[in-house]
Amino acid sequence: MTGITRLTLLALVAIASATAVAQEQRQSPAEWRSMYELGLKHRTASDLYMALKSAAGGGKQSPLFAQLPDWSGLWIVAGGGSFFGPGPGGVSPKLTPTAAAILKQGSENEAKRIVYDENLSECGPPGFPRWLIIPFLREFIVRPEQTWLSSETVNNVRRIYTDGRSHPPVEDRYPLYYGDSIGFWDGQKLVIHTNQLMARSMGRSQPNQSEQMETVEVWNKIDARTIAADAWIYDPTLYLEPWYMNRRYSQVPNADKSLRMNYWHCGENPNNEVFKTPDGATQYRDFTFTGDDNRAKEQGR
Amino acid sequence: MTRVTLAIVLSAVLFVALVPMFVEAHHSDVMFEEKKEITVQGVVKEFQFTNPHSWLLVDVTNKDGSVTTWGFEAEGPSTLMRNKVRRSDFTPGTKLTVTGRPMKDGRPAAAWSKAVREDGAEFFPRGRASETN
Repeated sequence: MTGITRLTLLALVAIASATAVAQEQRQSPAEWRSMYELGLKHRTASDLYMALKSAAGGGKQSPLFAQLPDWSGLWIVAGGGSFFGPGPGGVSPKLTPTAAAILKQGSENEAKRIVYDENLSECGPPGFPRWLIIPFLREFIVRPEQTWLSSETVNNVRRIYTDGRSHPPVEDRYPLYYGDSIGFWDGQKLVIHTNQLMARSMGRSQPNQSEQMETVEVWNKIDARTIAADAWIYDPTLYLEPWYMNRRYSQVPNADKSLRMNYWHCGENPNNEVFKTPDGATQYRDFTFTGDDNRAKEQGR
Repeated sequence: MTRVTLAIVLSAVLFVALVPMFVEAHHSDVMFEEKKEITVQGVVKEFQFTNPHSWLLVDVTNKDGSVTTWGFEAEGPSTLMRNKVRRSDFTPGTKLTVTGRPMKDGRPAAAWSKAVREDGAEFFPRGRASETN
């Protein structure tokens, strides 16, 4: 790495830190563009991860407990960028023709209220990177050798190994809902590389991600009640160039400790069962409180 | 940049501009009316405090004396509690007025937006300004 490249990386990492703004504030277009362009400078997510690691002097593995940030409490998604929408300043992702066509069709369907969630509505896990944007409570468990990024939705947990291990050898890799994540600490920031992701839905009316997807994230607590996550997404089946988004998570007020993360069973209430209608929209099945036979409607009778 | 690449980029920009805000919950809300609201008066039959959605079941007496059980759908327990709606707020027998966006197919169910108990206490299970959490 040249001195100029190293300085550039350090400057960009400093910009990431400079996103330490109040909870409801967002990145400025200039801050966003700097991070976006950082992704463009690296051909693969692995390259970006290694560049960040080099810029962090190799990063820290298994730091002492006392060196770790306090991410305790409950958190909830507080907005930020999206997979296919424009970032601050109006820059949009450069999509492959296939992804753009699927997105266009999805948008047209949404306008007609033809929407179905092949994933969550059938009680599947959101998976990653959709995990970045789902609602409901989150809890972040930080330990020297690994960090757990958990979400209430279907009890999912992302395990980020920071004990120096590598990803599994290529011959042992297989698609995973949340992928395989390794990381290092750069001061109070957690840098994550994720691969081994599954080809599946990224959200309603959106194109599917592929098994080629890899991501890099930088997680950082930017004020007492806000954690920010920079995420660079590489997937050549979707994006002609790497995409960048910044997500925010707010600490949930819980002074009386009444809110807790509890077990989540998607199918616990039959009144929540939905199905896909013949035209592709979403409809509730029978309700226990009406006795209707909605399956007849589902079958077009 | 080639013309083909430029066309792809411009197309992508145009298409993503059309993408609406995707609300990430268990299911889309397309089965409910978008703007129409209904308000009913009744008595709580049961409060199903469940994931991914909770249901407040309310018995409503019709003009002919028959009773229809209406279901009002909300988010799961943690979202309700963050919006200051507790299970004990709606015990069976509680008299109340409930508002929501009804289902398009005419079944007695609605996306719950507000409730006012007989004692005057007001509840907004989705927040006062329709949160998208």
